[in-house]
Amino acid sequence: MFVDRSMTQKVITVRPEESIVKAKTLMDEHNIRHLPVVDEDNLLLGIVTDRDLRSAFPCSFYKGEKQAETQAEMEKILVKDVMTKNPYTLTPYDTIQDALLLIQKLKVGALPVVDKEGRLKGIISVRDLLRAFINVLGIGTPGTLLCILVEEKVGQLKKIVDAITEENISFGSVLVARYWEKDKRAVFPYLLTNNVAKVKKKLRAMGYTLLDPMEWYMDQLPKVE
Amino acid sequence: MKKTGYLYDDRFLLHDTGPYHPETPDRLIAINMGLERENLLPLLVPIKAVFPDMKWIERVHDPDYIQRFESMCCTGMTCFDYEDNQMCGQTFEIAKLAVGGILEAVRLVMEGQIDNAFCAVRPPGHHAEPGQAMGFCYFNNIAVAAVYLREQWGLKRIGIMDFDVHHGNGTQKIFENDPSVFYYSIHEHPSFAFPGTGRHFEKGSGDGLGYTRNYPVLPGQGDKEYLEILQNDFLPLFNEFAPEFVLVSAGFDAHVDDDMSDICVTTEGFNTIMQSIVEIANRHSGGRIVSILEGGYSLRRLPELAANHVSILLK
Repeated sequence: MFVDRSMTQKVITVRPEESIVKAKTLMDEHNIRHLPVVDEDNLLLGIVTDRDLRSAFPCSFYKGEKQAETQAEMEKILVKDVMTKNPYTLTPYDTIQDALLLIQKLKVGALPVVDKEGRLKGIISVRDLLRAFINVLGIGTPGTLLCILVEEKVGQLKKIVDAITEENISFGSVLVARYWEKDKRAVFPYLLTNNVAKVKKKLRAMGYTLLDPMEWYMDQLPKVE
Repeated sequence: MKKTGYLYDDRFLLHDTGPYHPETPDRLIAINMGLERENLLPLLVPIKAVFPDMKWIERVHDPDYIQRFESMCCTGMTCFDYEDNQMCGQTFEIAKLAVGGILEAVRLVMEGQIDNAFCAVRPPGHHAEPGQAMGFCYFNNIAVAAVYLREQWGLKRIGIMDFDVHHGNGTQKIFENDPSVFYYSIHEHPSFAFPGTGRHFEKGSGDGLGYTRNYPVLPGQGDKEYLEILQNDFLPLFNEFAPEFVLVSAGFDAHVDDDMSDICVTTEGFNTIMQSIVEIANRHSGGRIVSILEGGYSLRRLPELAANHVSILLK
């Protein structure tokens, strides 16, 4: 899964010589928080975020004369003065996993995607990754999620998948999560049906534990010492 | 005592979903048995199913969809798009009859021949979208009834209360931009139950913003939470909306003994729900209610649940 399949390709950009007032207008108009800064050849020079602009702008409670005065001052401040130069970037052949890890590590909201020459090809933001995750989870496709507790050993998933397939039920997705108990895992099959009572009964008869939905979670619980 | 209509037709049993499906003809037999056991049948005005003017179904469903449904049915397909939607050669005709019977019930109420009605129909309807069969539903029965009330009878405010344990995605979708139909649904949280919609932040859009309301309940919750939601959310909202007619998507699958959900409403809890709905109708709609069967799969519990439901309508 390469980032170019999930990134935003039609990027709103800004030039380094433009004022930060212009940059703010662009962000407001397009409801975005990151603007890659490019030159006339679309070479990436930097990135400006809404946080950069907030730091540069004076108090938003200024009114009247004071507001007009500061507005005029703001027009003189240029994007190149507030942007982050040489930001971290990804290439179109980095993967979604790369993007997740790098965004997590750097604690940023978006990363520009550039080709070998440094030309801007797109931008991948936390929102793009959320959209991809929503699709992976199958949220929006009608179905029912189950949670089955299995021993952590080879072949468990096959038995579950076989049992469900025998009932002629299609899968939307399958997630596997660690469970708090040692040597156990929780399998979350998302089944594209409203009709799960029978398959639940069958899985229980096979000896599996179906977890109470109020006990479900994806991530390891924080350790209580 | 009120004059309550009861829509039931043996032909609803002909919609055959195969041997492994929870939405079986036995559900209606159980309901009928419950009413008989409690000696309610002689008190009810029988309503027979008739074929509807197709223009009403076409006001809700795409012509392509209706045609596809008919041709798949006639050519002997036993499943419509999803495995959930099992059907037989008669399904298309029976689905039309269900709609037709409901429109009859609505007409009788509007003409004052009866005060309210319970429609024990199959197939159910609230998951059906304009162009998509889903979750055992083919035609959105309640949506057609609402459109009929608005366009044939000129009503301006129609309230739909959907207490089926699953969210009525179809009904919501059909009316999400429409301020004349208030869709209120209480159901198991969509992260734990079919169809995965009906989150609390889905509130309608455009002119219909605020006229869709979803109240998801968590697995294991029951009477106590439902009572709170009815008192603090449903009643105030419907009192403000003041519906001229109340339609009910009556699904009994939130019952603690129904294994289609993790919700634990008791038989008494269902009485409370229905009493709240009647309270709204008495106050704002001249008591006009048409209640339409959706889900509810516990053959052991359906007789008493249906009998209580109808008894509350009769009061």
